[in-house]
Amino acid sequence: MNITKKYGKFKALSNISLEIKDKEYFIVLGPTGAGKTSLLKVIAGLVSPDEGEILFDGMRINEKQPGERNLGFMFENYALFPHMNIVDNISYSSRVHARNPESTQKIVQQFLMMTLLMGRDDALPKELSGGMKQRVALSRALMNLEQTKLLILDEPLKALDAGLRNSLRRELLNMAKSSILDLTVIHVTNDQREAMMVADRIALINQGKVVQVGTPHEIYYHPRNLFVAYFMSEINYFEGKCVKNSKRKGELHKISTKSDKFLKQIQEDSLLLPIDIGIDKIFTVYTDHQKFETIDDGDNILLVVRANHFKIREGNRLKDKKNAFIGLIKRRKFMGVFYRFEVLVKINNKEKRLIISIPATTEIHQKFQEGSNVTVYFPEELGIIFKHPGKDEINRIMSLV
Amino acid sequence: MPEIKLENITKHFDEGRVVAVDNISLEIKDKDYVFLLGPSGCGKTTTLRMIAGLENPTQGKVSINKKNMEGIPPEDRDMGFIFQHFEIFDHLTVWENVTFGLEVRGYEDDYIIEQATKALKLVDLYKYLDKYPSMFGNPGLQKLGIARAIATGAKILIMDEPLGSLDPKVSRVFRHQLRNLVKDLGLTAIHVTHNQSEAMAIADKIILMRAGKILQIGTPYEMYENPNSIFVANFLGEMNFLQGFVLKTLEEEKIEIWLRLGGPRLNCNNPENKFKLDDNIVVAFRCEDVYLFPKNYNFEDSKYDWSKMQFFKAKLNASRFIGETKRFYLELDNQDKFESIKSGTFEEDFNIGEELTIAIHQDDIRVFRMPEDLFNELSLT
Repeated sequence: MNITKKYGKFKALSNISLEIKDKEYFIVLGPTGAGKTSLLKVIAGLVSPDEGEILFDGMRINEKQPGERNLGFMFENYALFPHMNIVDNISYSSRVHARNPESTQKIVQQFLMMTLLMGRDDALPKELSGGMKQRVALSRALMNLEQTKLLILDEPLKALDAGLRNSLRRELLNMAKSSILDLTVIHVTNDQREAMMVADRIALINQGKVVQVGTPHEIYYHPRNLFVAYFMSEINYFEGKCVKNSKRKGELHKISTKSDKFLKQIQEDSLLLPIDIGIDKIFTVYTDHQKFETIDDGDNILLVVRANHFKIREGNRLKDKKNAFIGLIKRRKFMGVFYRFEVLVKINNKEKRLIISIPATTEIHQKFQEGSNVTVYFPEELGIIFKHPGKDEINRIMSLV
Repeated sequence: MPEIKLENITKHFDEGRVVAVDNISLEIKDKDYVFLLGPSGCGKTTTLRMIAGLENPTQGKVSINKKNMEGIPPEDRDMGFIFQHFEIFDHLTVWENVTFGLEVRGYEDDYIIEQATKALKLVDLYKYLDKYPSMFGNPGLQKLGIARAIATGAKILIMDEPLGSLDPKVSRVFRHQLRNLVKDLGLTAIHVTHNQSEAMAIADKIILMRAGKILQIGTPYEMYENPNSIFVANFLGEMNFLQGFVLKTLEEEKIEIWLRLGGPRLNCNNPENKFKLDDNIVVAFRCEDVYLFPKNYNFEDSKYDWSKMQFFKAKLNASRFIGETKRFYLELDNQDKFESIKSGTFEEDFNIGEELTIAIHQDDIRVFRMPEDLFNELSLT
């Protein structure tokens, strides 16, 4: 609660409050330098906060030493014992706690299997690659779990190749969710895909502050601001004006289409907001009541549409599609699961490049080539509206320097 | 018109005790964006360094534009270099970092100014030209690295993990900008990485290496759709692998296979009748090619042609919403597991633990012979 941590004049954490629930897989997500690791260190007791309280089951634990906090943790630099082989490193805590050597041995072998390190029992840390060391450190953290209820992981999968990262993510989640262990996990990462893959809830952190806390669905479909929207996937943004007093007044809509449960909920609880982004047609986007009330006629707004929420059709289909642009495919790239298109459209007579990703099918492969004329459009429930944050803020978020 | 050719290239280190690159041959066409991809230690960086002239091959020939490169130093090979750790001079301004190399080469001032201005504008750093690089984060530093490389006017870009020091989010944005830049300038690019999704997203062509050898060369589409081995299939994207054996050989180059331990039976293509009765095999299919239906879905009513679909039952163990995609974790009666990936807005109403009907198109199922060491083939290293 209200945690602040300063290093000299630099505020690593600025009045952060978070509540992590029992047995939750909680992800702390953010760019490099956001304050993620500082937060973990405060929770683990490796550094003390300058202000604020840390409560564990309602009890203040600020004064407790790390060893008294019943935590398992794995930090980014692994901290393996250099003179011990893999097996001894992993089973260290079991020996300290004098557990049955036979069952320990069995569990260690299971970890070696899971992390693709079997047969390397006698290797010393210096003989291992970065990724291998990381896997040993992860196994060691997970060996400890019988004593702990809270596991803290700092970028546990960072040094691994993509495929192995995928399979270990799944194992981590399985382990955390298995009823025998009943674990609460706090896992820090800078990779939004990793966060979405495993989190029950995500706290997105930037510049020492919590920007938003929510389930993957909430963060993805209801981002609090442009930074959150941008961080979670490739987006397109459009500057425009709210035109509530246009002929297409906002009204409550009941939608009967079968759809994703969460999207259905967006439709049911929302009002249609008409907006003008500088092309002939007025666009309409579902907005929740609260936001609808705070945006007045004539207000400058920002419309955000995720790249994968656009759909694509051949030729000019402006007549029968809402929220549609016509344009030309400038670039097309096959990426595996998706095709990524860059489509040139005209807004206010200026050229704009839209980024659109479409699941890869044979049809898409054949029909949509570079140079094709297309219509691209997005469903009303998938547009995201913000009050215009100002040009400087947009540039700050989107620029890569 | 740079065309790069490697013929029977081998590289030994440590007096022959380490074979880093083992008799490889390849060609890189003009204006192609080519990736050398593979796990660490596969020989990709050594290959890049031999193309660049930073290492000499133990055997074999590197030629650029049909000219043998033996004895020609890196600076005379028409190449710009981009590094993982940027190699930017902190004590020089943005402008000086870009012009330094041009001045060393003794170009005229007018030319230097023109080239540096153009390069800095292309990466959107011109407004910072009198600033010091310490004001930049990693993305800015790498943009400066790119500006410095393209300012030389070189026709070939040599890149060793150029996005390796960027945050995942940043690198996913940056990768498309890098490809667009290379394409707009009409450069030939050779890019080393271990990151398959980066290679898939940028490459015109991928050269996949393992243990000093080339496993396969092709466009991302070819490699993804027609991998020539289990290792390639697994390395280039998420693939399900299930084990079984050939139950029957059928007409028209087809086979019926039976997945192990009483799993489902599937009809698969068997080009050139490669597989025979009782052969042990591994079937592979992409997660996104797995279609999900309720258990009792009526396929008769539908307008689609289901004749080439293979149907079987599986239990839904879990599902995850991951933004762009939804992911479904499934299990067969024989306890073998596989996954399905659908679009993030995929309409579904499935319950965990429910039995589903699974459909996969026959052409989306690839059959591989069971390797001696399946575990090694799936190891990604």
